[in-house]
Formats: sequence, structure tokens, C-alpha cells
Amino acid sequence: MSKKVFEVKDLSFTYQKHGIKAVNAISFDIVEGEIFGLLGPSGAGKSTTQKILTRLLKNYQGNIQYMGKDFSQYGNDFYEDIGVGFELPVHFSKLSGMENMRFFQNLYESKADIEALMKRVGLFEDKDRLVGEYSKGMKMRLNFVRAMLNNPKFLFLDEVTNGLDPKNAKIIKDLIREFKEGGGTVLLSTHLMNDVEELCDRVAFISKGEIREIATPKALKMKYGKRELRVEYKDQEQVKLEVFDLDTISKNDTFLTLVKNNAIQTMHSGETTMDDIFIRVTGDTFHEDA
Amino acid sequence: MKTLKGLLRGEFQRLIKYNIIQVSFGVSVLWLLILFLVGKEEAGVFLPLVVFMDLTMMSVLLMGVSLFYERQENTLKTLMVTPAPMWGIAVSKIIASIYLAFQSVVVVVGVAYFAFDIAFRLLPFLAFVLIIALAHGILGFVLSLFSKDFNGLLALIMAYMIVFAFPSIFYALGLMSESIEPLLLLSPTHVSLLMINYGFDQSIETFELIYGMLYLIIASLVLWKYLILPLYPIKGVKE
Repeated sequence: MSKKVFEVKDLSFTYQKHGIKAVNAISFDIVEGEIFGLLGPSGAGKSTTQKILTRLLKNYQGNIQYMGKDFSQYGNDFYEDIGVGFELPVHFSKLSGMENMRFFQNLYESKADIEALMKRVGLFEDKDRLVGEYSKGMKMRLNFVRAMLNNPKFLFLDEVTNGLDPKNAKIIKDLIREFKEGGGTVLLSTHLMNDVEELCDRVAFISKGEIREIATPKALKMKYGKRELRVEYKDQEQVKLEVFDLDTISKNDTFLTLVKNNAIQTMHSGETTMDDIFIRVTGDTFHEDA
Repeated sequence: MKTLKGLLRGEFQRLIKYNIIQVSFGVSVLWLLILFLVGKEEAGVFLPLVVFMDLTMMSVLLMGVSLFYERQENTLKTLMVTPAPMWGIAVSKIIASIYLAFQSVVVVVGVAYFAFDIAFRLLPFLAFVLIIALAHGILGFVLSLFSKDFNGLLALIMAYMIVFAFPSIFYALGLMSESIEPLLLLSPTHVSLLMINYGFDQSIETFELIYGMLYLIIASLVLWKYLILPLYPIKGVKE
């Protein structure tokens, strides 16, 4: 059985200033070597949960264990273990990309090869340019390098491919997969379902501060999808549609006759998309600001 | 200690890259120009006031600028997820601010010493520069924590100057009655001026010097413990 990296029980958090309960009694585990997706619309509680787990927010209720030890027992050495990629770029704009990375890396015991990382994300040629001159996509790639500077065991990534073109998004996703293959664990907060399908082993849907579902993407598709097959076929120059029950399809004479005698145009199972599941589970639409 | 070394190195790198050292040096040159314009006779009167303005107002302002950039770029957020402790991050900023104050004082007083043959008590002067720069760096830190933006910071600094700095300057220039002095002793800038005057070989009561030093040191410790340490992680991060 895989070792639990984080064990979260009945975690709640209220922002005192506004009296808003951002997280309400959520419980979940993250096991070693998995990519765990935390999904939900803006304002659902994803960022608050991530801030608590990165110790940026302290006065929470509930119990958190990290590597089997109470979270509150860790000092600043906890940060030697983790890497954090924030949603928005956080760099010194009047320092070059390399100067930024060297400064942050000097604060850690363990040190990754910065030049190799910069090469992987395609920033090596621009390493001596001021970060203020970088495009948003370049800053996001630098954010990822920043998260990897200390050879972390656990990565917190927030909307990591936000603002990246498909080519650079693929590079980052490949690096995340490599990190996982090397034994690393990832908490990925996102609302990009494409990233979820490609990367996540398990996902938790969070809405209004509560976890609505935790499962593998495949299990969720099975649960929320329809056991049906939709067939479009040609019948006397007309395109017609028939829907068949998947569980009885092998004994369905209409289906078998149709396949045998008609030109099939399209054939789709009733498996739903993660986008649809997101909307159904969270009761929300994409890009909706809280 | 290892992280403090890295933080300090970064802080000094940014003082250069963000032109803060250059601006501070430029201000020192301006002060010197003013001293040369007023002439040798008056320079002895103006120099303590110039050092006073530099150590108090410039320390507050330059610390504010440094924290303004930090908040604008939200870099504290990413520093907070490193092994560097919060106190270390704050201390490195205060040390950098004290360095700027010393740089400026060395340039202005050094040139003035050779050009105008001004007498001063070296060791007490350096000790007082340290205490005054520390207190005003911390004050600048606190004021910037309570400002939403740079305009807010400038407004707070102006309010502070009107309440605490101007009365001391008017008093020093003989524009205010001597009876107001006991009240002025409540002002951190006024006790700073007394300490600077002593550094420039003027006679100041011993109790006023001891009171001034204790006042600035205790005020710095109180602001550090009750405002900077608890509020910096909250107000230093842009959400």
C-alpha cells in the first residue's frame, strides 16, 4: 500500500476579516507518487486549501498529517521538501531569470541543476534577460523552474499551464510526468480539464468549500456517463440516429442489423467528458468568479 | 544563518538593480551641493540638519520603496515558501536600510569633514547613526505595512513629517519657543536630532542622550515584535 504524504481530516478555515468559511470540514489523502487534482471553480476553496498545506495560512481547524507526523510539528525545514508553483508569476522584474533562480536557490540545502531546467522549459537562451521583459508564458515557465529549484519531493502547482501555448504546455506536462515517475507527488489545482485528464491519477472536486467527489478520472466518467451507444447511419440518403443500451447491445437485433446493412457515419459511447462532470458535480460553470 | 546570508546577498543585489543605492547616492550628492551653496560658515549649522533629514526621512522613504516593489511584484509570497524564516526576511531588509543610511552619512559627513573642517565625535556619532537608522528603517517598514499603495505611503510619510519632523526642524532653527522642548522629547525624530547634534560636538544633556537612545531602541523593539512580525506575512502579500 502506498504511503500517505498528506492526510487531511475535517479541515476548515474561516477568513476572519470577512467571516467567510472558505473550507468546510474537508477530508482527503494524497499518497506518495500520485498526481492529485484539486478541481473547482474560482472561490471554491482550492487556493485556501493549498495555502493551508503550504503553511501560508495557519489558523485552521481540523487535523493535517504530513509524512505521518502532525503538520504543526514541522518548522521551516518543511519547505526543503516542497516546491510551489503559484498561479501568477512572482519574480523580481529587474533581475534576470537566472539571477532570480540563483537567489531563491541559495535559500535551500538541496539544489537542482538550474541550467538544465531552464533548457528543458526553453528559457536558457533568455536566462540573462530581465524578467520584466519576459512574456506571460515565459514567466509561467520560470515559475515552474522556481518550484523545482530544490529537488522537491512534493509539488504544489496552481494553474500551471495557464497562459502557455500548446507546445510549452506539453513541455511542462512532460516534466510533471517525469517528476512523478521519479517518485514525486503532486497536488495540482486547476480548472483546465484537459490537464486533469492527461495528468491526474485521482481528483477531488471542491465546491463552496466542500469536497463533492474524490475518485479517479475514469471512475468519475463511468459514474456520470451513460451506458449507451449513439450510432449515426445512412438510410436512403438520410442520416439517422439511434441510441442503444450498452449492457444489452450484443443481443440487440436492431443494432446488429443496422451495423450489417447500413453505412455507419459515427459511433460514440455515452462516456461523458470531465468538463460535463465538473459542471454537474460543482453545480457551476467554468471561469465563474466568486 | 545560512538563509540570512542568502537573503542579505539578494537584498543588496536588488538595492543595486532597483537603483535604490544609486538614488540614495544621488541624494547625498544633492545634500553636499546644498552645503557647498550655503558656504563654509553656515555648513556647520546645516550639516546636522542634513544628516538628520537623511537618517530619518530618507530611511523611512527608502524602506518604503523597497517594500513597495516587494508588494507590487508579490515576491514575499514565494519567499514565504522557502526555508527562510519571516524574521530573517524582515531583518535582511532592515540591515540593507541601515547600510543605505551609513553610505549616505559617510559620503556627506566625509566630504563635509574635509571641505569644511567640521568637528564631530566619531564613535558616539557612529553608534547614534546606527540607532537612528535602525529606528527609522523599522518605522518605514511599519508605515509601508499600513499603506495600500505608494501614494498612501507618501501620505503617511508626509503626515509623520508634519507631526514629528517639522517641529524639530523649526525648533532647531529657533523658530519655536524653548518651552516646547519637553513635548518634543516625545518625538522620535527630535531625540534623533539631539543625538546627531551631540555627534557634531554640540553640548547636549547626558540624560537626554540616554533617554533618546533608550526611547529609539525600545520603540524599535516594540514595533518589531507587535507590528512587523505579526503583520508582515499578512500585509506584505498582495492578494
